[in-house]
Amino acid sequence: MSIRISAPTQGLVLLAPALLVYCVFAVYPMLDVAALSFMKWNGLSPNAQFVGLANYVQVFTQDPVFWQAVRNTVLWTVMSVIFPPAIGFALALALNQNIPGRSPLRALFYLPVIIAPIAVATIWRWMYDPFFGLFNATLTALGLQGLIKDWLGDRNVALYAMFIASVWQTVGFSLVLFLAGLQNVSQTLIEASRIDGAGRFEVFRYVTLPALRPSITIVLILSIINSLKAFDIVYGMTGGGPAQSTQMLALWAFTQAMQLGDFGHGAAISVVLLLITISIVIPYLRWSRTHRETNP
Amino acid sequence: MRVPTQWLRFASAAALVLGGAMAAQAQEIKLWTLNFANDSANQAFQSIIKQFQDANPGVTVKVENRGVDEHKSALRVAAGSDQGPDIFFSWAGLGLGGEFVKSGLALPMDKYYAEYKWDDRFLPVALTFSKQYPGGQFGVPYTFHGEAIYYNKALFQKAGITSEPKTYDELVAAAEKLAKAGIPAFTFGGTVNWHVMRLMDEILETECGAEKHDALMTMKASWAEEPCATKAFDELHRWTSKYFLKPFMGIDQSQSFNLFLAGRAAMMLEGDWLVGQLKGANRLADFAVFPFPTGGKRLYGFAEYNYISSKSKNPDVAARFLDYLESTPVQQAHLGDFGTISVNKDVKYTSTEPLEVAWRAIFGGYDGTFVNGDQAFPLNVTTEYWRIINQVATDSLDPKAAAGELQKFIANSK
Repeated sequence: MSIRISAPTQGLVLLAPALLVYCVFAVYPMLDVAALSFMKWNGLSPNAQFVGLANYVQVFTQDPVFWQAVRNTVLWTVMSVIFPPAIGFALALALNQNIPGRSPLRALFYLPVIIAPIAVATIWRWMYDPFFGLFNATLTALGLQGLIKDWLGDRNVALYAMFIASVWQTVGFSLVLFLAGLQNVSQTLIEASRIDGAGRFEVFRYVTLPALRPSITIVLILSIINSLKAFDIVYGMTGGGPAQSTQMLALWAFTQAMQLGDFGHGAAISVVLLLITISIVIPYLRWSRTHRETNP
Repeated sequence: MRVPTQWLRFASAAALVLGGAMAAQAQEIKLWTLNFANDSANQAFQSIIKQFQDANPGVTVKVENRGVDEHKSALRVAAGSDQGPDIFFSWAGLGLGGEFVKSGLALPMDKYYAEYKWDDRFLPVALTFSKQYPGGQFGVPYTFHGEAIYYNKALFQKAGITSEPKTYDELVAAAEKLAKAGIPAFTFGGTVNWHVMRLMDEILETECGAEKHDALMTMKASWAEEPCATKAFDELHRWTSKYFLKPFMGIDQSQSFNLFLAGRAAMMLEGDWLVGQLKGANRLADFAVFPFPTGGKRLYGFAEYNYISSKSKNPDVAARFLDYLESTPVQQAHLGDFGTISVNKDVKYTSTEPLEVAWRAIFGGYDGTFVNGDQAFPLNVTTEYWRIINQVATDSLDPKAAAGELQKFIANSK
């Protein structure tokens, strides 16, 4: 006897285990965090107390670090959307050419992506050490003592110093996605445009770039999402210091909940971060889809 | 060979009864504590547990070590389950340790204090924290640490400092002499917020005196309205801007210690545990120690405790283990493994090592203690206290505005 299952049912059956796991480990915690943001709970007492919007009022009006964390997170996101994708794109264009050592170079640039962020943080923290680190030692050796900095201890420099480490780690990710996109660009179209008299720039502008639009969308969306939830590298390099000057929303939410035991406050920050993420990502996805439909 | 059926039945029944009895006797107590600072403490603890288990057949003591943050998180998770420890480590006082006591996670131990006569066993300065909480006596002293100023004898000599500063003004004068000789007075590691905080705590005690200092730390007095609080931030800024080895915000306390060992700065405000580290570096002879001259009668220090969990199924066995751990023979045998002094007042000291002798004199020379800011304040206020200290230290906040800024946060958080 055989059981006939329709294609949609088969799809649902196959989807069910993953959906269940997703609901238990992603949707439920998300809803729980949203509920917790209206509670006062220290993680120790058995019951949480409903406090309405008090946590949000506290976050927006009384938390001396929250707005600093917002500014840093926005700045980090803007930089993350510009620099790693731009560098990754340039590297992808270069490594898409038939140059010697292309494969090892691709692997080399991708290597930092597979290192755990906390390990990257440790490596770069050593290099930034103001007394014995690589950068200050090199500057000293070159006679450029005037450029020596307390890279992670100077509030005017620390965020950018961390960002350089982040670029080093994440550029390979953009590179691989752009490379995959470049290899899907139709050679027929490129050759046809050249026959039509297009120069290198025109080929790039009117053939390569439009063909890369899905890759660019994916890279930008993932860069935005990853940068908004920046945590490990900040935790490992500065812990949000000095004087909370490199604090980020994700780390501040964690600090409030897991280190200070104010779960309601931490949950409210998490909800704000979620709303910021949604408010950026969803319009961009919609715009991107509309744009693709009107300019296929 | 045939075995009679009744014999098999008898053997099975006997095995069941014996197994049941053994299961009833077997008791496991779980102890959650921090990672030990050095291997000798680890070995000492393992040896103590083995001896206790040998003396108490059927009892197993299982130790789980974690880092500070992991330990705190694990205790929070355990608070909502029955799988937590029987005994847990925490700091004494109303701050970090008090949070667990206040939440009902620690068992009142009055019964055990009476049974084991612990009130007569411990140093009063260490014991006093157990009586701070409403609802009974909580926790048993584990270690007691004092913090004082270590100095590099050669650098003091080079700067022409001939005696240890006895007053705050003499300390400033010594720092000035060191600065003139091109030697930074202090090294601190700014990435760990509590390191620079120690200097602020000491200055606050110096400027405000014991009573006002306590009122400020318990948030009964307004930081904004106490001129001594503003003066303390001003003094802190003087030290960080003129007398610190720079840069300091990008290094931690262990890097700071290495710089101290390397002679890059003359002084370090550290606990008695540094003696062990100096011993490990074979540099005991190069350094001496004196208490921060606050002008008061209180030593800067803190106690660490072991608490019995209110969820423990074997609190009597847990208390028996703690009694053994803090007994005079055990403490005498492992003197120096967990700290320079023992919390047990009957322990005898024979070491003639000058730094250890100096520490014993320091411990004996004070009537009371004042604890580190991060153990006096609630956690959220501590975080803000650190932020403001670091802002003052990095010239990002006018010291005159610092006390008002802290008070604003305290008022909002109430």
